[in-house]
Formats: sequence, structure tokens, C-alpha cells
Amino acid sequence: MNHRKKAGASVVAVTAAAMLLASCSSGGGGTSSAGDGTGDVEVWAHQGKDSEVAALQDAVANFNASQSDITVNLTLVPEADYTTTIQSTSASDLPDVLELDGPTLANFVYDAKVAPIGDYVSQATIDNASAGNVNQGTVDGTLYALAQFNSGLGLCANGALLDDAGVTYPDSIDSAWTADEFRSALQTLAAANDSGYALDIKENYGLGGEWGTYAFSPLLQSAGGNLIADNEASGVIDGPESVSAMEAFQSWLPYVDPNEDDAAFVDGRVAISWCGHWMYPGYSEALGDDLVILPLPDMGTGTKSGAGSWTWGMGSTTGQGTAAGAFLDYLLNDQNVAAMTAANGAPPATKSVLASDALYSAGGPLELWGKQLEASCNADAITSDCVTVLRPLTAGYPVITSEFASALSAIATGGDVQSALTGAATAIDQSFADNNDYQ
Amino acid sequence: MTTAQMQRKRTRRLRSARSYVVLTLLALVYVAPAYYLVVGSFKPAADVLSGMRGFLPEHLSFDNYRSVFDSLASDSTGYFWQFMTNSILISLAVVVVGLVVNSMAAYSFARLTWRGRDKSFLIVVALVIVPFEAVAIPLLFMLNGMRNSLLVQALPFFANAFSIYLFYTFFLGLSKDIEEAATLDGLGPFGTFVRIAVPSAKPVFATVAILTFMTTWGQYLWPSLVISNPTYRPLPLELSVFSGQMPVDWGEVLAFGALLILPVLIFFVSFQRFFVQSLASSAVKG
Amino acid sequence: MSNPTVVRTRRRAFRWSRRDLPGATMAAPGIIGLLAFVAAPFLVAVVLSFYNAQLNSPRSPNFIGITQYSRLFSDPQFWRAFGNNLTFAAVVIPVQTAIALGLAMLINRRLRGISIFRALFFLPVIFPMALVAVIWRLILSRSEDGLLNSLVHFVTFGQVGAQDWLGNSATAMPSIILLSIWQGVGFQMIILLAGLQEIPQERYEAAQLDRASRWQQFRYVTLPGLRNTLIFVVLLTSILAFRVYDQVYILITSGGANKAATQTVLYQATTSVFDQNNLGRASAITVVFFAIVLAITVVQRRVVRQESEA
Repeated sequence: MNHRKKAGASVVAVTAAAMLLASCSSGGGGTSSAGDGTGDVEVWAHQGKDSEVAALQDAVANFNASQSDITVNLTLVPEADYTTTIQSTSASDLPDVLELDGPTLANFVYDAKVAPIGDYVSQATIDNASAGNVNQGTVDGTLYALAQFNSGLGLCANGALLDDAGVTYPDSIDSAWTADEFRSALQTLAAANDSGYALDIKENYGLGGEWGTYAFSPLLQSAGGNLIADNEASGVIDGPESVSAMEAFQSWLPYVDPNEDDAAFVDGRVAISWCGHWMYPGYSEALGDDLVILPLPDMGTGTKSGAGSWTWGMGSTTGQGTAAGAFLDYLLNDQNVAAMTAANGAPPATKSVLASDALYSAGGPLELWGKQLEASCNADAITSDCVTVLRPLTAGYPVITSEFASALSAIATGGDVQSALTGAATAIDQSFADNNDYQ
Repeated sequence: MTTAQMQRKRTRRLRSARSYVVLTLLALVYVAPAYYLVVGSFKPAADVLSGMRGFLPEHLSFDNYRSVFDSLASDSTGYFWQFMTNSILISLAVVVVGLVVNSMAAYSFARLTWRGRDKSFLIVVALVIVPFEAVAIPLLFMLNGMRNSLLVQALPFFANAFSIYLFYTFFLGLSKDIEEAATLDGLGPFGTFVRIAVPSAKPVFATVAILTFMTTWGQYLWPSLVISNPTYRPLPLELSVFSGQMPVDWGEVLAFGALLILPVLIFFVSFQRFFVQSLASSAVKG
Repeated sequence: MSNPTVVRTRRRAFRWSRRDLPGATMAAPGIIGLLAFVAAPFLVAVVLSFYNAQLNSPRSPNFIGITQYSRLFSDPQFWRAFGNNLTFAAVVIPVQTAIALGLAMLINRRLRGISIFRALFFLPVIFPMALVAVIWRLILSRSEDGLLNSLVHFVTFGQVGAQDWLGNSATAMPSIILLSIWQGVGFQMIILLAGLQEIPQERYEAAQLDRASRWQQFRYVTLPGLRNTLIFVVLLTSILAFRVYDQVYILITSGGANKAATQTVLYQATTSVFDQNNLGRASAITVVFFAIVLAITVVQRRVVRQESEA
């Protein structure tokens, strides 16, 4: 009887082994080729706001109408699933052109999912991209992606409510509130408001997602801490500077509106909103001249802010390099960059459009964020002059952001700061150790 | 009627009146969240999250339902009816194929003799305690090549050890006489199963069908692992996508929720009269 | 072919005869399905737990021994999650069973319209957990407009302010427990109701003749009569209690629930995949999870057996 039992077990084992093998063989990198510059070009993009979608659809339609050689087919994927979708699609099934969230680029290069674009887009397009734009799209000295727009982050404030409460506010990058000033401002504002709240941190976005890292990791950097340094998170993300920044963050929480309806700021329930550029159009419409744009609080070494946003790359196995490049050239021309940034209120990522932009150039309402973006640096080279810091350009970014964001959401629900950050540091370092530092 | 009888009747009435009061109070508390869902689905978003006023049936309209259909009507977001169809197809497939596969296996274990039967049955019993959650991650690894399809959402759930067990206890308790007569009449094992055993097992079929439909309909973990493409997304997963997209309109989310339970409610109501007895008898025996 | 009987007997000694065929064929789809989608994945999990493996990666998995396990057991987050599972089970098993029994006894009456009450108490069982999470995050919302907050405000005449039920570490797990019981109790209730209906009415009548009080009737007639059903319900509830996942995941990721206080073992497993693409760690958690479930089952079976022998 014994041998039969063994036979049964070995059937299971063989099935298991066969399935193991089957699922391993699906990987494999690819090589792009130029193609003949005609035919269909598949494009994937994230589905943003309606106005952004319309701008993109217009660009595609106009491109298709402007010439007869290339036909672009656009597929939209919901924003919440976009990065997961790319991650879970094998390289050979990826489209010719795809949009990527800036900080995830290095990981997709590491997984051989995107191709260098330097040979396919025109030199004029590359030359016209802003420095931050090229920075974000470059991995190990090779250009993989270029963006239509950058991002702006700061505080949006309701000037009328601030004035009524007698709270004075900074008017430049250099005069940003210190952590203590910010807290006492919140205290005064909360007392003056019927809601009892003073601040909206877009809790409704979920602090455990990319918003958490984008919006609040600058606090660490402003305090002199960081997410990671030299491929090591321990002592950095959970170092004393980072811990003090997150403790300050925790002390603001009693004044934070849950914002479940996404209307805390426009309804006047809070005077200050942690503010991305995409909120500007709605806020400006609701508040008019009362809307003021401020820098994020200075946690010790000068205010720091976030940068980087959606960018465009090519699938690693595209056979349509030339045609895809032509489409990217078109997407990044003045007309389409201007249309997109008009649609979403983002700072343009090309020099020519930025120079003439009504919002971000000198005298515009978002001039402060424009200046912030001029003082831009990478996360591994933060200087005291630098304001906007790109998220770490490493293939290990996905684990960094998910660990930081989940520590942040633990902190936001009253968890112990040091142990939350140390937990994140351990997980990040383990992942880097397992994967040879993602080299 | 004697006085004693009248007295007894009165206490009985009093008692049932008291029961009604207790039951009604409990039911009110118990049903409140469900009521909140239904009434909220007809109210504007601002009225949903407005304290106790969320319970008041005021400003009612079908706007939320209309917006759910309107906002989920493009290739990129997916179509509401597509999600609904996906969920229905997956659940029905798992129910129908599951009923056939598991009842057949159970009948074979309970009534037929073949080599290896007892040992195979031991394996089935042992697998009853393995919850799906314990194999979801490795299964993801094994079926990764099939992700984003309808089949991958149904395939792992056809064979179900617990269903086999439920059928098994029923078939075991069935009188053998008719089956033996049928065999004498020349019906083979399969014929006996189809003609004799299945018709007498309606309550178990109903129970297994309801249980399977409910669990499959509500699946969240597995689709969240294997589905990213809206074309193949089932309703519960879409609910979390839909309620996570900014800005959230809670009225619309509740309307979506009400639509989500409608089919399973219909399914349950149509089969429920078999449900209680059968589930009970297998539980008592088991 | 001249002597089929001989052929058949000789075959029988070595392999299946034709008589085995119908039984084996009818059982085959079920058995194959269970082996392929329950047994095989479990073996794969054991193997994967010794590897550093990622999904959709061009690099092949590499063997790292028991690293995943040693990390797991030295990770305070994992122990916290495990502790949360224990808390959840320790409260839900007795409380949910008791409520289910109470409800079952309440609706086990011959009253007009009782079937409506049965249906109402059973109703939440058909609600998918994803939906339950959405409804309850609105009820438990920390804003003053949250249903529970305004109810508390009303009942205490404004003395108690808005609470962050899901966010506060003290109330987060009780909140999860509350909504889980709300959703699940009807199922146990139906099973217990059926068990109650199996108890012969004569036993109650005999007890009434002996002038047994209602409590005595419950203690000496109802409970013994329900013994098997209760064991089944407790077993079912304890396994379900360790499988708690959907509501926790949804409420942590989008409902502002306190992660430290509500995360469970399965939450740790899926986030290892979603956040770190770390299949090895997730598989190790899966194996540990299964060991826990197995341990509960074995312990409970043993206890039950001892009791019936005593």
C-alpha cells in the first residue's frame, strides 16, 4: 500500500513542479526596433481627470488626422490600477508607448519593461525638456522617458480665514513656517473655525498610497533626514531627523479634517490644504482672490517639496520605435503640452511652454511653485538651496514608497513614530539585500 | 371556555406581544446598516454623511443609479453591465460546474466501490480544513499566466471539498432500496446517480448552490490578486476601485452597493426554502 | 478473449478493473481539481517560502533557505498581526456564537410573521464583505457627521465628542469585530435554529412537568440537545475568525483604519505581494497561517473527543 501513497504524492509534486516551471518561463527582456515608421502604435495611459483625458484624446485624434502613415490607438487604464497593470503585464505584451509614474521608471528599467528613447525622439524634443524632466527620465545615464508636465506641491490657504484668525503667513520660500509656527497657526485656526479643524491633508486619497510618499517625504528631507541613502534605509528613514519630522506631523493631526467628501477646503471647514497643483483649478474657482499659495513648513533645513509626475516611455519590445518616437515628439510639442497643462494646472515640463506659462512664470499665481521647481535636485544630492526633491531614482523605489506610506498611515492613526519608521527601514533593507541593492 | 383556559390564552398573547417587541427592536438595530445603504443610495452625497439625518428618506431620486451607469460606461473605466455580467458568469459557472463535479464525486465516495476510494476520500476530508486564503498566494504564482480572464476567477473553485462533504453526508443517509432496484432494472452507476440520487437530493443541491453563489459572488481576495484589467473585473472588486476614485460620491457608492446585492438576493430568495433544513441536517450529522 | 473472467481477475491483482471505472471516473474531476488547486499550491507555497521570488520578474527565484521564516518570527509587525488574529478570534468565537444562539432561540417560535424576522437577521450574510466595509466605514466615520458619532452625540446630550472609531488603536479592533459579527452572525443563527428544531418537543414538555425553570430548561434540555450543532458552529467560527481579511484590507487601505491594531496575518501576506512583490515572504506567511488553522482544528477535535469520552 505504501508505494501507492507515494505515487499519489508524486502526482501532486509533479503537477506543482510543472506549474512552477510554467510560471517562471513567462519573463524575459526584450529589444526594441525602429520599424519602418508606419502602421499602428499602441498607447497606454492612466485615466486622470476628465479634462486630462480629453486633452490626451484630442492630441491622439489630431495626430492621427495630421498624417496618414501612423495610427495611434489609445487605451486608458484607471489611475489606481495603472502601475500594477504595467507590473503584471509581461514585457512582450506591453504597448509601443506607455505612460509611467515618474518614480516607478527605474523599476521598470530594472524589469526590462521599457526601452531607451534617445534614438527615437528628436534631439529638439530632448533639448526642450526641462532639467527636472530629463533628470526624472534618466536611469544610469540613459534616457527612458520624457514628461509633458511636472508637479507642484505646497500649501493652499484661505487668506480670508487666516486674516480673520489673525494668523500671519509666509510670502516666500525663505520665510516658510517652522514646524512650531505651523502648529500654533493650526491651533489658532482650528479654534477660530466652527468645524474645530484647520488642515486638510487629503486623507481621503489614502496616506498609504503614493500620495503619502509624494506629499510627506519632503518633511523628512526638510528636517535633514531622508528615505534612503547609499542603498541603506536604517538610520536614515528612522534616524532622529526623520523621526522628529514625523512626530511634528503627528502633532498636527488633531487639527486635520477627515475630508471624506473632498470638500473640507472649498467649504471653508479648514483654512489650509496640503496642496498639489491639480487641486489649484478647483480651489481657485471656489475661493477666487482669497486663495494663497504657500511653501510647505520648514522642518529645520529649509522647506522641501515634491516633484515629478507622469511621464512617457516606450515598451521594451516595441517594433515601432520610429513611429512611437514621432508620436512622442508630437505629444511633447508646445501645443499639446500647453493643452495638457491648461487641463490639469500642472507646471509644464518643457522649457518653451514654461517660459510663457501664465500660472507658473513670474507674476503668475503659482509663481512660488515655479520657483520651487527651478531649485530642483535628486534625492541623493540634497543641498540647502534645493527645494523640490525628486523621489529616489532606484529600482527599489516600489518597496521604499510602500513601506514609507504604510508607516505614515500607521503614524497618522496614532502609532508610535520610531517603531513605525524602524519597521519600514528593516523591510526596505531586507528587500535591498535580497535583490543585490537592485543593481 | 374556562377561566383557566382564558388565563392561559392571555399569558400566551402577552408573551407573544413581548416577543414581538423584543424582535422588532432587535431587528431595527440589526437592519439599520442595510437600511442606511438602501436609503442612502437614493440620496445626494451631501445627505449621506450627515449624521442621523442620513436615515431620513428625503431628497430621494434615482440620480445616483443613473450616475453609476453613466460614469462606468467607457473602455477605460469598464462598463457597469460588464462587471455585472462578469460576476454573474463567474458565479453561475462555479455553481453549475461545482454542483456537477462535487455531487458526482460525493456519490462515488458514498455509494460506489473502487480501488483507492477510501484513501481519496481521506484526502478530501483533510482538504476541507484548508481555507482558500492559505493557497491564494502560491495559486497566484501558478496561474499568473492566466491573469486577467474570467476563467482564472472560476477555475480554482469548481472542486470544493466542503461541498463534496455536504453531498456525501446526504447520499450516505439516503435509503439504498430504490437505487438497488434501479440497478436491477439495468441502470448503470451513472444512470442511478442521475435518475435516482440527484432528484432526491434537491435540498442539498439548493444549499450547496446558495453557499457557493454567496461566497463566489462576494470574492475579493482572489480577484484583487489576478485582475487588473477592467474588462474582467467582478463587481465587488470594482466597488473598491469605484469607492477609491477621487472625488468619492458616497451616494453613488451606496447605489453601486445596492446593485451589488440585488442578484444574490434574488438567487437566495429563489432557493431559500430548501436552505435551512438541509444545512441543518448536515451540520447536526457532521 | 476466450475466458474473460480469468483475465479480469488477473488484471485486478495489478491494476484497476473495469468495475472500478465508473466510480473513479465520477470522482476524478473533483479529486483532480482539489489536487491541482488546493494540494499543489500548498506544496508550491512550501517550496517558494525558501526562495527569494518575485512575480513578473525577468530574474529567476534564488534559494535563500529559512531566511523568510527567521525574518518573520523576528518581525514585530508579524507578531502584532498574529496577536490581532488571536484577539479577533478570542472575542468573535464566544460572542458571535452566543448572539447567534440568542437570536436562534428568539426566532424559534411559532409566531405569525416570524419568517420575516428570520430573513431580516439573515440578510447581512448575503452582503459581500467589500460592501460591508464600505457601509461601516461611513457609519464609523470619524467626522462629526458619521452615523455612530452623531448617535453618541445625541445619546450623551453632546457630552461625548466625535471619535475616530477605526483610527483609534483602542476602538479599531472592536469596530472590525462589530461589523464582522453583524455580517456573519446570521449564518450561525440559521444553523443553530435548525439544531433547535431537531430537539424533540417532548423533552421540554417533560421538563415543564418537572417544574423546571426556563433557565433550567435551557441548561438541561437545549444545550445538551444542541451539543453537536454547537461544536460545528464553534469550529466553523474559529476557522472563519482566522481567515478574516477582506474588511481589514479594505478598511486599512481606504477607510483610515489603524493598521497596527487591525492588520491580520493574511493582510501581511497580501501586502508582501502588493507592496514588495515578495512572493517568498508571502508564501512563508501562508505556510504559517495554514499551520495555525491546522493546530486549531486538531486541538478542537481533541477537546471534543475528550469531552465525549468523559
